[in-house]
Amino acid sequence: MDKKSFKGYLYLLPSIIIMLAFTIYPLIRAIIMSFLGDYSIINHGYSSIGFDNYKALFADPDFALSLRNTSIYVICVVPASIILSLIIAVLINSCNKTKAFFQTVYFLPYVTSVIAIGIVWRWMFNSNYGLINYFLGFFGIDPIPWLNRPEYAMPALIIFAIWKSMAFNILIFLAGLQTIPEDLYRAARIDSTPKLRVFTRITVPQLAPMIVYSSVIGMIGAFKVYNEVFSLFQGKAGPANKAMTIVYYIYDKFYNSYKYGVAAAGSVVLFIIILVMTQIQLRVTGEKKKK
Amino acid sequence: MKLKKIGASILAMAMATSMLAGCGQASTEAPAETQPTEAVETPAAEASTATEEAAPASEAKNIEATEVTFWHAMNGNLEAVLTEITDEFNNSNEYGIKVTLVNQGAYGDLQTKLQASAAADALPDLAQAYNNWLTPYLDKIVKLDDFVANDFDNWDDVVEAYRDECSEFGFIHAVPYNKSTYVLFYNKTMFDELGISVPETWADVEAAAKTVYDAKGISFIGYDDLAGVVEASLHQDGADYVDATGALFNDEKGLETFTYLSNLYNNEYARLVGEDGYFSNVISNQQIASYVGSSAGVSYIKAEGWELGVAPLPGNVKKAANMAGTNIVMFAQDSNKQLAAWEYLKYITSTEAMTKWAVGTGYLPIRQSAYETAEYKTYMEENICAAACYEQAKDFFFSPTFEASNDIRSTVPSTVEQLVYDKADAQTWLDTIVEAVNAQY
Amino acid sequence: MSQNRKVGNIIATILKYAVLIFGAVFTILPFVWMISSSLKTPTELVQIPPSLFPETPQWSNYQEAWKAAPFARYFVNTLIVTFCTTCGVLVTTVLSAFAFSRLNFPGKKTVFSLFLATLMIPGEMLIITNYETIINLKWIDSYKAMIIPWISSAFYIYLLTRFFMQVPESLYLAAKVDKCSDFKYMIKIMVPMNKQAIFSIAILNIISSWNAFLWPLLVTNSQEMRVLSNGLVRFQTEAGSSTELIMAASCMLVMPIIIIYLFLRKYIIEGVTRSGLKG
Repeated sequence: MDKKSFKGYLYLLPSIIIMLAFTIYPLIRAIIMSFLGDYSIINHGYSSIGFDNYKALFADPDFALSLRNTSIYVICVVPASIILSLIIAVLINSCNKTKAFFQTVYFLPYVTSVIAIGIVWRWMFNSNYGLINYFLGFFGIDPIPWLNRPEYAMPALIIFAIWKSMAFNILIFLAGLQTIPEDLYRAARIDSTPKLRVFTRITVPQLAPMIVYSSVIGMIGAFKVYNEVFSLFQGKAGPANKAMTIVYYIYDKFYNSYKYGVAAAGSVVLFIIILVMTQIQLRVTGEKKKK
Repeated sequence: MKLKKIGASILAMAMATSMLAGCGQASTEAPAETQPTEAVETPAAEASTATEEAAPASEAKNIEATEVTFWHAMNGNLEAVLTEITDEFNNSNEYGIKVTLVNQGAYGDLQTKLQASAAADALPDLAQAYNNWLTPYLDKIVKLDDFVANDFDNWDDVVEAYRDECSEFGFIHAVPYNKSTYVLFYNKTMFDELGISVPETWADVEAAAKTVYDAKGISFIGYDDLAGVVEASLHQDGADYVDATGALFNDEKGLETFTYLSNLYNNEYARLVGEDGYFSNVISNQQIASYVGSSAGVSYIKAEGWELGVAPLPGNVKKAANMAGTNIVMFAQDSNKQLAAWEYLKYITSTEAMTKWAVGTGYLPIRQSAYETAEYKTYMEENICAAACYEQAKDFFFSPTFEASNDIRSTVPSTVEQLVYDKADAQTWLDTIVEAVNAQY
Repeated sequence: MSQNRKVGNIIATILKYAVLIFGAVFTILPFVWMISSSLKTPTELVQIPPSLFPETPQWSNYQEAWKAAPFARYFVNTLIVTFCTTCGVLVTTVLSAFAFSRLNFPGKKTVFSLFLATLMIPGEMLIITNYETIINLKWIDSYKAMIIPWISSAFYIYLLTRFFMQVPESLYLAAKVDKCSDFKYMIKIMVPMNKQAIFSIAILNIISSWNAFLWPLLVTNSQEMRVLSNGLVRFQTEAGSSTELIMAASCMLVMPIIIIYLFLRKYIIEGVTRSGLKG
């Protein structure tokens, strides 16, 4: 290797060492595990080599349900969270004196552990005396048994997740807004460009890298949703397990059923899904930029 | 291009080494398996010499001062009592054994940690565990048969159901410790007001439920553990639940059981706990007249403005009650540590220490003799929950453990929930649950 | 015309604040409830209809929660682990992001995609192997075990690379003409220009290491090494949970973070204004 490339890798060295040891190596083991039938992590024994685990996985209706739920979750949470966060971030950024205050308030959901805040949301969703039904009552909507009926389990989970994920996006967008050169806005002000136009023509394009980042990270995170389910439904996957997600399924197979191979196969499938989705997403946003 | 090649070769190398690591560990598997059995023989030999010398048996034992680690999931007051008893042992034992308690969070955390430690060969000397956690690493557990046979104060004094549970793998794998059972908690004030007596049979439950539902418009009964109620009800009807081959209740008896349960739910005589998590919250609010839950949960019931009653579970053709709570298993590798750990187990399960534990925590004594101490008798007079538990001690059964038992435990509750939502009839209950259970094999 | 615009501006401002305040209430409500529940009696917690505030605040809940575990020791450990992890993360992240955004070397794209791909792995799958690694390294029950696996994050590297790419390439070329070394350029130009982003990364990482639960529990065995979040589970059993104590403990867990956040934010904003606006 020449000097130039050596330098690049020197800068990357610390990260690469940690990742090889604590991410790549366990990942390779997980991939191998997914091809071993009845693999035991205790004595490393297995009964067969092949696609048995994958066959078992795709024959399991619970896994199909978890795929469906996770897709719904991703499609709802990611765009909603980004659009709302973008609006809030721009509004906060346009405040002067109250900026610091709002910034702090909107960041709060990121601060607490999901375990604790899940308990709080359970109370907010309570069908008899929860605040959400109380507010809906103002609009003449009958109490909704959010956590008591399978059909409302996913909506409840999605609302909780949007609330939880907005804080991160707002923080990133606010940081991004600081990097937009002030003279772009000054020019717009001189031309007295309408605010909405400033937003779509200057703010959004300038923020594009952060929006792409947020949507990619948000999507990856959403595909891996687990803690939110666990805390909102007290360790279960909702009424009659109807809010089962992929990682919940993997976790359950690994830690409760001891089906290590099936769990590993599940995580490989999840990995491939996310990989494909991110590639698509990066292609699409990349093309837009070129135009 | 060059880099891609290098990357590929690194990947290949990593793959190879991890495979090698896998092989290496696999080949050591055989000696690892024999190790515990070897280790068990040592104490047996020593203990047998000890019994020959009869009276001063403990003197003859040769235990070197050592440290024993004990992983547990006892929190709050439970931990305080356990610490007190352990301190007493540490200060009083003549060998200089020091037991170190390690709190590993809640049961779920302890389960995960034990599993990871089994994989990494880093298990503690002693740990609390449910039987169904142990299937993946059963061969790492020290067999206690010889310890019990040669050096334990009257194993027959231990409640029979506990002995059975601790030897269900064909050898004694554990010593019972923090045991509880499911009991019927009820709102005594409401019962008195409506003139209901405590239900003893399914028919009583149905009659009382109708009275409560008609008068108050609330459900009569609920079950914290849906897998538990299915199993208990089948036993109460004289039917079997599951074994290593599949569901055993696809018959008349099963249909009878599910007729009872489906009627309760479909008439809203029974309800699901749903968003409240535990019925202790629901009964505290007087939103339900009674519920079946673990005796360990009694402190979470807040009876303000009403009086709490506790009774054994109602039966049908016979009585049957679920047991809950963990046992203590030994993983210690060297024989000296095994002997030391055994000294500790003997101490904490002795009549005296067990009475103290039971009175301090509300867990049930594992020994008949502890039930008969003056101290525990006084406790039972004041504590209605303990009295109800004692009354049904003869009716305990435990859930068998085999490969599919974990999956059955996790699949039955969601299946039952769905049936309740669908307001399904008894035949559908039976067919669906049989199918769900058999799908786990 | 200008009159109209003024009215329009006022309406816009009112609307803006209405939206912000509504959102803020929605955001803050769970916290208000968390604090108020931490001060309730168990009976008040489950009472129907619920009261937003306790009749008499039960400060003893905090006392009881505090007693349940050696929280003082946990607090110190949490501080140490969080501080070291965050410093480590900042160093590796800045170095890597700089390499990806400014340096040219063969295989850059491939390595970058590989980094990105590591994000897509469900972490639950890696835990057991990593635990075995920690045991083999004999790091069990040490700060090392809680810190080192977490000092590199593709998540933050990806974020900072995006910010670094925003900095005009011309600045870098100008610095090159001035014979400014890469390292110096990184420290003197790139880092100060992206203070806000680096601060965000710091705070995000502080929070995640502060709240980390399962990993610290796995790799530690003694009370002396445990962290604050491990104290939260002390109030849950298989038969019920003491919600008021969990809430009290959660408040104790969250408060330091909020203080750190406020402090850091003030510091960073000052730093930005002092360095002056660029561009």
